[in-house]
Amino acid sequence: MLLTRRGFTTAVAGTIAAPALIRSAFAQGATVKFGMVMPMTGAAAESGSFAQTGAKLALEQVNKAGGVLGKPVELIFEDDQTTNPGAVLAFSKLASQPDIVAFLGSIRSTQMHAMAPDMLKVGKPVGFGGTDPNLTKLNNPWLFRFRPNDSYSGKVIAQFGSKELGKKKWAIVHSTDAFGTAGGKALADSLADNGATLALDQGYANQSQDFTPVVLAVRQSGADILGTYFTFETDLGIFARQLRQLGVTIPWVGSPSIVNISALKLAGPALYNTYGVADYAEDSSDASKAFGKAYRDVRKVAPDNQSSWTFDAVTCLALAMNKAGSTEPAKVREAMLAIRGHKGAEGEYNFDKNGDGLHGYNIVKNDKGEIRFDKRLDFTPNLG
Amino acid sequence: MDLALQLLFTGIGIGSVYALVALGFVLIFRATNVVNFAQGEFSMLAAFMMVVFTLKLGLPYWLAFIMALVGMAAVGAVFNLAVYYPLRHRTYLPVIISTIGASIFLANGMLALHGPEPEVLEGWFETPGFLVGPVYVDSQYLLIIGVTAILVVLQYWFFEHTLLGKKLQATSQDKEMAALLGIPVAAMIMVTFVYSAVIGGIAGILVAPVLFVSIGMGAAIALKAFAATIIGGFGDVTGAIIGGLALGVIETFGAAYISVPYKDGFAFLVLIAFLIFRPRGIFGERVAEKA
Amino acid sequence: MSTTASPATEVARTRLNWGVPAYILFVAAAIVFAVLIPKTGYILNISLQATTYAIAVLGLTIVLGLCGQINLAQAAFFGLGAYAVGLGQTEHGLNFWICLMIGTSLAALFGALLGASTLRLGGHYLAMVTISFQQILTLILINWIPVTKGPDGVRAIPRPALLVDGSYYLGLCIAVLAGLGYLVWRLRDTRLGRAMRAVRDNELAAGVAGIDIYRTKVTAFALSAILGGIGGGLFAGGFAYVSPDQFSFAESVVFLTMALLGGVASPIGAVIGTGLLILIPEWLRFLKSIPGLYLAIYGAAVILIVLFMPDGIWGYLRGQLDRFKRARHSVKTGDALQLSGGGAGAETVLEVRKLSKHFGGLKAVDEVDLLIKRGGVHALIGPNGSGKTTTLNVLSGLYKATSGSVILNGQDITSLPPHARTKAGLGRTFQNIRLWRSMTALENVMVGAERPGNTAADDPAAVIARARAALAFVDLEHRADEVVAGFSYGHQRAVEIARALAGDPALLLLDEPGAGLNSSEKVELRNLLKRISARGLTILIIDHDMTLVSEVAQHITVLNFGRHIADGVSADVLQHPDVIAAYLGTAPDVAA
Repeated sequence: MLLTRRGFTTAVAGTIAAPALIRSAFAQGATVKFGMVMPMTGAAAESGSFAQTGAKLALEQVNKAGGVLGKPVELIFEDDQTTNPGAVLAFSKLASQPDIVAFLGSIRSTQMHAMAPDMLKVGKPVGFGGTDPNLTKLNNPWLFRFRPNDSYSGKVIAQFGSKELGKKKWAIVHSTDAFGTAGGKALADSLADNGATLALDQGYANQSQDFTPVVLAVRQSGADILGTYFTFETDLGIFARQLRQLGVTIPWVGSPSIVNISALKLAGPALYNTYGVADYAEDSSDASKAFGKAYRDVRKVAPDNQSSWTFDAVTCLALAMNKAGSTEPAKVREAMLAIRGHKGAEGEYNFDKNGDGLHGYNIVKNDKGEIRFDKRLDFTPNLG
Repeated sequence: MDLALQLLFTGIGIGSVYALVALGFVLIFRATNVVNFAQGEFSMLAAFMMVVFTLKLGLPYWLAFIMALVGMAAVGAVFNLAVYYPLRHRTYLPVIISTIGASIFLANGMLALHGPEPEVLEGWFETPGFLVGPVYVDSQYLLIIGVTAILVVLQYWFFEHTLLGKKLQATSQDKEMAALLGIPVAAMIMVTFVYSAVIGGIAGILVAPVLFVSIGMGAAIALKAFAATIIGGFGDVTGAIIGGLALGVIETFGAAYISVPYKDGFAFLVLIAFLIFRPRGIFGERVAEKA
Repeated sequence: MSTTASPATEVARTRLNWGVPAYILFVAAAIVFAVLIPKTGYILNISLQATTYAIAVLGLTIVLGLCGQINLAQAAFFGLGAYAVGLGQTEHGLNFWICLMIGTSLAALFGALLGASTLRLGGHYLAMVTISFQQILTLILINWIPVTKGPDGVRAIPRPALLVDGSYYLGLCIAVLAGLGYLVWRLRDTRLGRAMRAVRDNELAAGVAGIDIYRTKVTAFALSAILGGIGGGLFAGGFAYVSPDQFSFAESVVFLTMALLGGVASPIGAVIGTGLLILIPEWLRFLKSIPGLYLAIYGAAVILIVLFMPDGIWGYLRGQLDRFKRARHSVKTGDALQLSGGGAGAETVLEVRKLSKHFGGLKAVDEVDLLIKRGGVHALIGPNGSGKTTTLNVLSGLYKATSGSVILNGQDITSLPPHARTKAGLGRTFQNIRLWRSMTALENVMVGAERPGNTAADDPAAVIARARAALAFVDLEHRADEVVAGFSYGHQRAVEIARALAGDPALLLLDEPGAGLNSSEKVELRNLLKRISARGLTILIIDHDMTLVSEVAQHITVLNFGRHIADGVSADVLQHPDVIAAYLGTAPDVAA
């Protein structure tokens, strides 16, 4: 069922009626407003600024191309303080402005869960980046995901390690936070499909000072390949070093943090020759390259998934509104679900009925500290 | 057996980190009867100073080290004047809260100045470690164990055999009596905070090559070091060292043989057990019975 | 000042009669306002957060404000309530109210357990135990996935059927906050509230006044945890989603800061502090462009509050208001103080046999015998370091006797804790006065009157009457409603004696009551002791002042080097050669 570099080239949504140039009753005023919940303070403040840059880049491009229904788009930002109640407050503050027609939610799944009831109540489309697979199974028709969910990262890691690298006996090490637990479970669940077995499933608490017991457990398990879900770069760095010090050299495929710039700096040679899955890889497509260039012009550093999904979300929401010829939520939703083969920075968007837009990951390799795009693995979604 | 030996070395290594940070706690507690919840931030500040001095300014390691310690002395002095001294006549409660506030301030002030990304600080040694039989010995841990041992001996000598040390001890035991004897109590407390900040700084600089330099590096260690201090018996240097080592070993073995995710819980469980069954710690705080 | 004027308590009661309906009206108006006024989701959510957090902060008003115990685990109790409401409804299909009760009970149970650890710990140790509890609970919420659903948290938490609409639910939260706030406000002036404040101000004196310190602290912790649990349960219903990171140590620090900022002494402070700390992040939005800056300012603000506004915003405002209030002189009630002297029991009030107290090798008290007959004043004298105060501390239970026995009014009290001895009929004062400095003279003496075993103790009206009578007895009734911290040394001494008298003890122990008094105060003290004695209460007095002792005491026991050296009728004992030798320093050459 796997398609590498699927080529949806012309699958444009034909079912959509031709843009009716009727101004929506919702779109009052001179601009079309999108509300965005993002961390400006707290632990994720830095990544919040990346997300903001991504969204602003898309905004510029959309407005340059004529905006939405002839009006320029405007972004309204609210700080979620990197906490769940903070996110709820930020979203409700945005939701109380009736002229906002669509929202960008959070990249953190727990925040999305916290905001989801209010999002259902408001009844307007929300693009988000949290990767917990359950988020699109809440029977909430307004949630649209702009990153591949964790079931795909698990599937891709399992398939790449088992099929491409030919290793069948897995050790999984994951953080016990929401991201790590979900990822570890998705990977473990995908092993059987790839004819592989689980030798060790080991959780650890974030901000550990020492990983010796974990590394020894990996060594004792007799696994021939390692899959990891780390949240913090410092944890990953300490683990990577101790892994090498204690003589573990089996192949290693990790979640996106393994190719994070900070992780590369901290762990250095300990991460050479490891593989990582990345929802954003600059060399994976022309659209990704174009986004990378635009981003570098503004921020002077390479972009990552924090900014690519907000870029795609703003672009897609604007696209859907223009296709629908309206900002009326129900029409925008239909147009969103009809998006096929849209080439975004993260990959190719084909929304399934749950609201998942992406269905695959990029594999990248750490080649002596340089991150090189290896290949992209995509799965055929049920587009029903 | 190989496994146990490796765990034992790591446990002692991480335990000596706790012990080193605990030394700073003990000093301040002995002089002022105050637990400094910002002790971990001292370690974090010193590590960041080293990063700035070596990586950003390109100074040689030894010079950067001395400058960082001087910087920490200044931090300790300001800390005393701003956070502790104005509250010296109040109960322990406002002081605890004030040091919690200081901890939030220092961590987030550093975040505002530097940003959230962690940094790498090279260790003292060229070779990161070597194998002794089946056991991998991390040379930085070896250094930490050595420095901790030297500091304990120095501290013992200082308190028992120098005039300044004896004055400090007199101050910590009875401030009013010390004042009557003509000991400048305010100056002694100042010396304590300065010294304790420097010790905390040394700890931070020593652990940075192992744990990296990050905003949160101090807080996690400090809480464990605090637990070690209580297990050892507040106010007792030997107790804090043994408490720290014991905690490191218990934690490492607990993680290996019982549960990794609950690793941080072992320290607190041991602590609660100690507080309930042996509240004065292994060595016991020398508390005279008086009404 | 007329003696027939209505007593101050009556005045207070009439004011209350106005206050309660006004408060109910105000709350009802707030609820109606909350329900009817159209509001955005933002206002609704921020109001829900503020009200539910404020309920948890009220808990800190009890445990920290009233009882003076630190609690760095309030977020854990908040979490217990929230998870009970979340999991109970979504996983086990239980009713919202039942879940709220389960969560509150769980919180109460763990709160009591935590409070129980204060049996042997205080201060920093307690801080650490609460932190440990907080951390362990967080680990369990994250890792015990089958039960807690792990780091993903619990979602789609329903509200009670009638209150599904956010506005109605907010109305419920306001009603609960108002009700609990009222109870906490009233708690301050109940027997339990006074006991908590006494424990906070001076634990030693609280025990000696008959307060079961341990039970008081456990109760304070349990009540605090209950409020945390209720707040958390309502929070879960309000936000429909809970996850472990919402109940971490950092949140406990936030709760603590809220309590301190508003003022930990009053429920009004709790509400002010909570409101501000939820709103301030909104006002300071402009600071948020630099990560860390806002929290750095927050940390600095915590230090500044502790330094410059130790009583919080509400405490500060109260202080400013009080400056305009004229000192209110209480009027006299004219009740005469009745002293039963422990009833007409056996002739002997106190019998001490071979009592010893050793500190390591030091024999501070060595096989002392003491027999005190009912009625009259008995003095225990001896030079400095002779073991007098130690003897008194062993008698009142502050020290455990190494050997020997103490029998009070026929009851063996040798191994009882201080409060139980007080219940048995012991009253005492301290050499260095131990009053509860932030409480009024009347409140201090009321706690004395509430001594378990005192016949008046269980009737609030009788307690007030007795406390006033005791104050009148020491000529301080006109200052009943003033805080004792501002009293002169002599007046503080008198309040301390009144506190002991109000409890109607069988035996009154006075530890150097003349110390620090000027000569006219000493004359007053002497007359006071004679008046007490005249009403039939037995007194055991320790003092250096031989004039005072010889004037008031009928019977004297002399100690030196922890041993009993003479005993008998005053005049005889003072002529005893060993006693003269002890005082003039020609005693047997034993090192002191």
